[in-house]
Amino acid sequence: MDKIERLINLTAYLLDRGHPVTLEQLSTTVYADHEGGGEALRRMFGRDKDELRDMGIELEAVTAAGGEEVGYTISREKYYLPQIDLTPQERIALGMVSRLFLGSGTPFSGPAHSAMLKLAFDARAGHPELEVPSMRWVDVPRERGTLDTILDALVRRKVLSFSYRSLDAGEPLKREVEPYGLLNRRGSWYLVGRCRVREEVRCFKLDRITSKVGRNKKSPRSADFEVPTDFDLQKEARWEWLLPCEEEVKARVSFAPRLAFAFESGRANVVTSKRLKDGTLKVTYRVGDPEEFVDWVLEFGADARIISPPELVAMARERLQGVLRSLGGEDG
Amino acid sequence: MDRVAARINRMLIMVPLILREEGASIGELCRALDVSEKELMEDLDTLWLCGLPSYTPLDLIDRRIEGDRVYLSMADYFRRPLTVTRQEALTLLVAGRALISAGFFEEKGPLGSALEKVEGLLSEEQKGDVEDIAQRIEVELDSYSGRWWEEIEKGIEIGQNIVLEYYSYSRDEVTEREVEPFSLVWSRGHWYFLAWCHLAQDTRLFRLDRIKSVEPTGHKAARSAEAEFYVPELVGEYRPGRKAHHVKLRFLGREGRRLAEEWPAAVFTDNPDGSVTVEFRTRNLTWLSNYLLKFGDRFQIESPGELEVMVKEKVTELLGVYGRDES
Repeated sequence: MDKIERLINLTAYLLDRGHPVTLEQLSTTVYADHEGGGEALRRMFGRDKDELRDMGIELEAVTAAGGEEVGYTISREKYYLPQIDLTPQERIALGMVSRLFLGSGTPFSGPAHSAMLKLAFDARAGHPELEVPSMRWVDVPRERGTLDTILDALVRRKVLSFSYRSLDAGEPLKREVEPYGLLNRRGSWYLVGRCRVREEVRCFKLDRITSKVGRNKKSPRSADFEVPTDFDLQKEARWEWLLPCEEEVKARVSFAPRLAFAFESGRANVVTSKRLKDGTLKVTYRVGDPEEFVDWVLEFGADARIISPPELVAMARERLQGVLRSLGGEDG
Repeated sequence: MDRVAARINRMLIMVPLILREEGASIGELCRALDVSEKELMEDLDTLWLCGLPSYTPLDLIDRRIEGDRVYLSMADYFRRPLTVTRQEALTLLVAGRALISAGFFEEKGPLGSALEKVEGLLSEEQKGDVEDIAQRIEVELDSYSGRWWEEIEKGIEIGQNIVLEYYSYSRDEVTEREVEPFSLVWSRGHWYFLAWCHLAQDTRLFRLDRIKSVEPTGHKAARSAEAEFYVPELVGEYRPGRKAHHVKLRFLGREGRRLAEEWPAAVFTDNPDGSVTVEFRTRNLTWLSNYLLKFGDRFQIESPGELEVMVKEKVTELLGVYGRDES
């Protein structure tokens, strides 16, 4: 009997019996063709029990009143999916939520898929499944398994080890990190945790991990650390470059007619916009991050230019002159 | 989840779906479970060997296939799926919170009450655990306040084709095309519209903020989206043809490494002086000559020479404009 058959048979037997079954009884049924001694069988059963628990199937150990023998059971009440009483609006909302991570290439894809099937289980029988507008979240492809390992360690509170190279560092450094939180911002994943080398809470961008991520394999069922009760993911991830500048800058940009429709594609907020007779669009923005704003306007090439304020015009000019310097052309 | 766990999980969902008097359609099962027919048959073969003690043919799950339908019996103990697990609840909470923070749902609305009902399926201990972990995982989505969202969503909902005017940054041109709408996709910090494109005869992702106009056609959409797709394959610049230019650039280390995070398809090499060489292929150099401007003096062009000429021309043109403004 292979492992999959054995685990399914064990689940089937305990669900079907509905009352506790001793290891002795299991040894003549589910484990009848097991060829080790009693101790080997006990260990195998222990591993099976842990694996089923990881899948969400709980085998409870019950001692009969006065008896010494321990029996194992799966509570039908806890195993079977109950009918969930959802309003049509709730069903649509949950449909959208469970579909968000479908095919996303993250460790959430699988659970999102099974959750969707379970939530639709009773709807499937009678009513046609409600069509919901589809909105999806897709990850940047990366080495498979990195995110799985990190999420798993976060849930089980196990220490991670990996090599990490920050943008400014020449060489990667080996780190040991207690994973506290996980954040995806602007499409990139960040691990937030206590670095055992630096002895402080830090953010690690997953793209900057240069090695395989290892998880402490010792005593997998017990946690390696506690997460401080005052840990606040958003607080740790309030990075300087995301904060608005002390004073917001108002900037005016002129767009050539050809690409004027894309005037909202940046991160700055539009204050006013005015279209001239020739199709040119003049837009005023409230700018939080001048560097990023200038980068964005320059991506339009000759189809957009900053009119004011003089500081931003000077920044754009400095970039352009830098290009000429670097390419060895005459400085403008 | 490892392979064994994933298969068992799938089989425990599959059995109750088939266990009805009317059985289940093999094609529909494959679609719903997102497996090939071969994988489904392997699962059914395994289930056929499972059952209750003493595992004689009379105790095992019985499987019958007639045409496109499959029937199961002798598996009444699997009549309903396994309840929502901790992992599934966690996934729903993380996704739900992302959609609430981005403003797609209100916190107190139907999503909030539905998530509460899902959490109600967990034990008290599991619930506390899942809530604690969900607090520490966050995926941020931008709310999309721009134009076209409603028009596109409507096209998806009623399955109607759309004519797009779209600005392709990699080709630096605006083209018109009829597309069959699939879904709205959040990836790499941008919202995209995923659709089958009649012009390209392939699936394409269109960045929402580069769409110039949207017009419903009244044509019924004929295709449906596949469950899995790989983003860079769909973004034009990563699939250059034979005529593509080979580009070789050198960046200061910091810039180069940041680009490596953004361009998964390019080849990056660390140089002894700390700089990073980036090599990739592209069909069109116009976008690149625009894109490079923002790097100022922090990059050099090694090849092609044509690109260097284009960048210099562009800079001279722009400096002319910015220079005049100064006076």
